[in-house]
Amino acid sequence: MSITLDQVTKHYAGAPVVNDVSLDIGDGEFFVLLGPSGSGKSTLLRAIAGLSGVDHGRISLHGRDVTHVAARKRGVGLVFQNYALFRHMTVADNIEFALRVRHMRARARRERRQELLRLVALEGMDDRLPAQLSGGQQQRVAVARALAHKPEVLLLDEPFGALDAKIREELRRTIRQVQRELGITTVLVTHDQEEAFAMADRIGIMNQGRLFEVGAPHELYARPATRFVATFLGAANLFLARRTPDGIQVGGKTMGAAERAPGAPEHEVVAVVRPEEVELAPVREALGSRYLGNGVVDEVTFTGALERLRVRLDDTVRAPLLATGDVDGSTALQVTRTRHAHRGFEVRQGQGVAVGLRRVHVLPTPLSSFTACAPSAVRADALTHQPLLAELVARMKTRVAVRIEPALGREAEPCEVQGEFFGTTVIAAEGDNALRAEWLLRRGVKDLLLLPEHAAPPQRVLIHWMGDAARSATLAVSASVLRHVPAEAVYVGIFPGHSDSERHSHGMRELLDARSEAQAAHGLEMRTELHFGDVAQELARRLAEAPAQMLIVGITEVQHFAGGFRALLDSGRWPVLIVQRGAV
Amino acid sequence: MSFRKASVLPGFGLTFGFTTFFLSAIVLLPLAALVASAGSMHWSDFVRVVSSPRALGSYRLSFGASLLAATINVIFGFIIAWTLVRYEFPGRKIIDALIDMPFALPTAVSGIALTTVFSQNGWIGRFLEPLGVKVAYTWIGVTLALTLISMPFAVRAVQPALQEVQRDLEEAAETLGARRVYVLWRIILPTVLPALLTGFTLAFARAVGEYGSVIFIAGNLPMKTEITPLLIVIHLEEFDYQGAAALGVVMLAISFVILLAINLLQAWGRRRHVQAAH
Repeated sequence: MSITLDQVTKHYAGAPVVNDVSLDIGDGEFFVLLGPSGSGKSTLLRAIAGLSGVDHGRISLHGRDVTHVAARKRGVGLVFQNYALFRHMTVADNIEFALRVRHMRARARRERRQELLRLVALEGMDDRLPAQLSGGQQQRVAVARALAHKPEVLLLDEPFGALDAKIREELRRTIRQVQRELGITTVLVTHDQEEAFAMADRIGIMNQGRLFEVGAPHELYARPATRFVATFLGAANLFLARRTPDGIQVGGKTMGAAERAPGAPEHEVVAVVRPEEVELAPVREALGSRYLGNGVVDEVTFTGALERLRVRLDDTVRAPLLATGDVDGSTALQVTRTRHAHRGFEVRQGQGVAVGLRRVHVLPTPLSSFTACAPSAVRADALTHQPLLAELVARMKTRVAVRIEPALGREAEPCEVQGEFFGTTVIAAEGDNALRAEWLLRRGVKDLLLLPEHAAPPQRVLIHWMGDAARSATLAVSASVLRHVPAEAVYVGIFPGHSDSERHSHGMRELLDARSEAQAAHGLEMRTELHFGDVAQELARRLAEAPAQMLIVGITEVQHFAGGFRALLDSGRWPVLIVQRGAV
Repeated sequence: MSFRKASVLPGFGLTFGFTTFFLSAIVLLPLAALVASAGSMHWSDFVRVVSSPRALGSYRLSFGASLLAATINVIFGFIIAWTLVRYEFPGRKIIDALIDMPFALPTAVSGIALTTVFSQNGWIGRFLEPLGVKVAYTWIGVTLALTLISMPFAVRAVQPALQEVQRDLEEAAETLGARRVYVLWRIILPTVLPALLTGFTLAFARAVGEYGSVIFIAGNLPMKTEITPLLIVIHLEEFDYQGAAALGVVMLAISFVILLAINLLQAWGRRRHVQAAH
């Protein structure tokens, strides 16, 4: 491996800017770090270059641990967005800078310089000053300068940001060509997905300091694992859909075969439909794909090769469309059509159309939507405005439903609930929490979130599960939560009784297993801690140690849990997310 | 010259006329009067006045101490500006404001304050005395006073230039393998050199013309600690206006030559820098 990052974390003013990033980049690979501004991608690049230190974790270049090695000894080449050329030096002096520092002989320097200038197609420019070159030429000089000392790794920090479209295109090709010719491992940081697609062997997508997903461009586009990646890489329509034994149902209509083993219980999922996978036709019968419903064209925009439309679905289509991240928060369906499709069926604003879906991708995320549950409408409504819930809903681009259960928590009345619970059920912390939690968990709620009135997004999330059957689901839910909250994840392993060396080493093994499973199966980086004693007491003690913490606990059966956790739940001090998965 | 370019200010004719008038009335005319006044002397009288041992001694002190003060200020001004630009620390704003104090203070006050501190039994002077270092009433005191009053010019000239030195440049040099000293010498200093020269010029110009603060700490021994402006005042007090004007003309000439030299140096540096914007 050329570059290996192991749990790299960097804090700025208390908040993590780079949060537990682990990554392997292969020899000669062109890797693109893609993310919105403020996602921590540049900070990560600077950490690799050695220009900013890390608070936690390790960085290795070609097997050499460089975590504490100064930038000038790391053997990397770095190219900046604004070129950062030495303006008082000629092109030749700029390129030879690294060689002069290394006391290379004048003749060898000249030869190397000419080789580099040839490589970036700037022969004969030796005696110019940076001010006499165009932006594109300056950036070529910067690339040549960064390559002069034959670095093992080339780092590019938004190198095309300051250039206009045409030059950008040209320079992209040059850089890709140079990279192939030299076979040098390269990391490019950008916020431009088109650029990432054009250049990358693999893309790593960052948001809020975390590395969300890593993969080949077409893989990430076709099969994103998270809402963020689905909406950040190109446009996407997100539906709340159901996974049923027959297949994926959107708006009550089966859209595709079940992607997983049949026979699993029906549950709510988030489905992604790319705008180009939506088909429009005058009538249902003319559709070549599966019919979703009818709609009205809201807006038509012509963009050259493609036509972009927004189609508002009829109220009769019972397919909850989640906000697609547009500024106006509108939930009209986004559609793009080729010229060809446009010629086949011309539409105008206000026209009625039949809508079909060609391909539906289901996100593997276990958190689909939220349901605020309370005995009265007023209290349920108040709960939907709880700050942490509002934040989660906004960041997950999902929605909150309201569900009123007048008998909530009253065990005496043998009352049956109407309809199944879907998504994550949310209750307010207001006294008899344990009782209400038990009431809901017994009635089929799988994911239950207990929220204190003023709880804000946590800075640290503690994770624990009781019973191996809940392990995988707990990790999946935790991974999903932590993708939307910039917090530290800590797995707290707790074993009954006192610590002795044998049980200690057994415990440590379990922690390592948990960590590697979280990493491999869910892309979740977490720290681990080992404690001995009573589970609920240890967790409560750990929660009380610092402000702004949250607990995610996986359980397999309600009885034992409700008894042990009564005090912790009833205190109502911390947000607790209960994940119930049993051998049902 | 571009006459045709539209601008917010009224036309070129008006502004150019105003500039000429203003410069003439405020700068050129008085200077011409000075030269004329000195010119009315007989040539031999002129030479006698300006080349008397006392005058020669005062030139040496005035220009020597001013050049020394400007040099000191460029070096320490650079360090101060660096600290203010590059570091965030409590009290930074206060220190930044303190830099301008010598601007605001009547120079006589500065002189009195310095004398109090550096005289034989002053706060600092009494510790220097046993070491055989005399500050007050020597050329060291003169240099000190000139350094104090011209310090803000050096700092304020370098500060914006340092602000402009991009962090990226240093970081680029670092990733290319350069040590910090090398970066300072090869990257930062060349970049701020024009500003340093400007700072030097301003500080020097201010120091040469200084009078108020120096006379308190200098002791004003003829040939030893007497600066040229003081000598001029002495001539004036004896109603020897022509003599004063003669000395003034010499000061003017020397200052002009030095400033011109620095400006030429700067222009040459700039030409090398941006050898042509096409």
